[in-house]
Amino acid sequence: MIAYNRQSLDNLEIRQEANEAFKQGCISEDMQRAIHEAYPVKLYMPNLMISIGLFILTCIVIILSLCFFGLLNLEMFGDNFHILGIVWGLLCYVACELSVRGGRQCFHCGIDDALLYGAIIFIHGGLTLKSDPSMTVHSAIALLLTLLATLRFANAFCAGVAYLALLMLIFNLSTGPVAMAVLPFLIMLISGGVYLAVRKWKTRNSFRYYRNCLTVVEVLSLITLYAAGNYYIVRELSITMFEIELAPGQDIPFGWLFWILTVTIPLLYLYYGIRKKDVIRLRTGLLLVAAIVFTVRYYHHLLPLETAMVAAGILLIGGAWLLIRYLQTPRNGFTYKETDQQALMDKLQVESLIISETLTPSAPQQGMEFGGGTGGGGGASGQY
Amino acid sequence: MNILLFKKLYQENLIDATALEKMETANRNRLFSLHWEIKTILYLGVLLLSGGLGILVYKNLDTIGHQIIIVLLAAVSIAGFTYCYKQKAPFSYDKVESPNAFFDYALLLGCLTFVTFIGYLQFQYGLFGSRYGLATFVPMAVLFFSAYYFDHLGVLSLAITNLAAWAGITVSLRRILYANDFSNHTLTYTALLLGAGLYIAGILSEQKKIKPHFAFTYQNFGAHIFFIAACAAIVVFEHTYVLWFLLAAGAGALVIRHGFRLRSFYFVLIAVLYMYVALTITIGCVLYRFADIDAILLALFYLIASATGIIILLIHLNKKIKS
Repeated sequence: MIAYNRQSLDNLEIRQEANEAFKQGCISEDMQRAIHEAYPVKLYMPNLMISIGLFILTCIVIILSLCFFGLLNLEMFGDNFHILGIVWGLLCYVACELSVRGGRQCFHCGIDDALLYGAIIFIHGGLTLKSDPSMTVHSAIALLLTLLATLRFANAFCAGVAYLALLMLIFNLSTGPVAMAVLPFLIMLISGGVYLAVRKWKTRNSFRYYRNCLTVVEVLSLITLYAAGNYYIVRELSITMFEIELAPGQDIPFGWLFWILTVTIPLLYLYYGIRKKDVIRLRTGLLLVAAIVFTVRYYHHLLPLETAMVAAGILLIGGAWLLIRYLQTPRNGFTYKETDQQALMDKLQVESLIISETLTPSAPQQGMEFGGGTGGGGGASGQY
Repeated sequence: MNILLFKKLYQENLIDATALEKMETANRNRLFSLHWEIKTILYLGVLLLSGGLGILVYKNLDTIGHQIIIVLLAAVSIAGFTYCYKQKAPFSYDKVESPNAFFDYALLLGCLTFVTFIGYLQFQYGLFGSRYGLATFVPMAVLFFSAYYFDHLGVLSLAITNLAAWAGITVSLRRILYANDFSNHTLTYTALLLGAGLYIAGILSEQKKIKPHFAFTYQNFGAHIFFIAACAAIVVFEHTYVLWFLLAAGAGALVIRHGFRLRSFYFVLIAVLYMYVALTITIGCVLYRFADIDAILLALFYLIASATGIIILLIHLNKKIKS
């Protein structure tokens, strides 16, 4: 089923474990080298930066050669351009297979990813361009294509899209008043079911090549479980999609229930994330706490924005300070010091890039008033 | 960690008994790190607090509450700097590890509120009169000093963007193209000089061993500013575009050579891509003169062939850096 060389994938995992052990100082460099020699990996995996470059360039080549080909054969296709789409998609797919199984066995090196996405997009476009079908058909085709792509190439992005396409399909199939009323709970049920299934599958040895895909679906299922019960999403979707008329001040049916779900689910994620030491639940929970804040602020203006910002800032900094003091010596298996696993983040100096990106001053312009411009944290910097 | 796997490796004699034992102890005492979670919370806190204070000052310019906010702003800034001054490790020209994660963000908060504070003083009391340059120069100097004194990469990036702002250039990924008017020739020259200067500053900090780990930040800003200005120059200067292309290509070659020495895939990649963009713009300028369907086909053919060529080049360069 999977296109890549299984032996190489297994060896790759062993190598990664060995690198991890080396970083934590458990094995010596000689042992690491010995392991690398005993378990050869023939896959082509360039540096991340180079992969990004390869991805961009492959996209350019795919799109422009389509333009080139289309322009040269303008008369041949006439108004049957959807056939060109399907042909081009199939060509991309063949090229992708060749890049993976040919002499240079690409493994998520940018080239194979771009070709795979190209194949999916062009085949999908080709199938739907002429007939212009309903959203149900769109999501069904997308689900089928991305699912096949995930199974064949273990592509995490495709796995995420496949999961979302599945939800879209269910969403579009639910017509009629009863289905609409239970839709939030149906989506929550499915998300929860998928989450539990994925957690189980991750430990299964036969799914070992798909762990990254499963992690993506795991995160997404947690998010969709929350989103389906979020007050803002339920209310706005009820109004726009199902054309429910709400008088000003009127609440949606079971509004209180959705408010409870909005506030409790992220806190539950956080609680279980900390108790079970599960990074995924913890980080998703933290992210969704922000969603609580935005949802509440959208309907209830408790404080003016800037006061809320200052208060939240003080609260967050104070909380972090207390947490750091509390974890000065590791407690209950928690530490605030970094373990070596995220060394990549440091290497790229992501932190300083984010700081400069969000807090940049603009070049001063003559006659600009103080505080007139930058919405970022810098406030009035750079203007006078 | 997968202990079963390492037991298997032990049986294959690839690791010895002490290593396996170490592995088992490490696995038993594994700590769960909240490092990035705490850092994110701190970052958000600093962002919200400094941003909120900035807006508060701006909105309450003419009320009595204003003075209180200004005092608050100054207090936050002083508190941040004082905390850092007390906690900091002795100064060294090498990399100094920060005492804890809170230290970094206290300094950031101090610096940001200081910049807002100076901006306010200039607006309300005309601290620097009409010498507007000075009003951006002073915060910049303080930022550079703090970056070196407390060893903080984030503050260094802020200082560099302030330096660019002082020179009249907006440096931000999202805004660099439309916030700057490159048809203004002075701006183009300034940006080229600034980019080159920053890149050289990076090389110097490495060679002279003055905070060598700052080199990446300088070179990153320098390379991007320089190449974007050079590409803009190719478009803007209609008659001399070939010369500007040669300049970009020459600089690209230097960056690639330097990238090889640092074994940095990142710099090699951006230099290759920028050189490619510069070449494409130049060829586009030439083809633009014959605006007909053949020129478009020719352009498409060039783009396909060249992009394929660059893919092969990147694969080749990747192999070369690795070996």
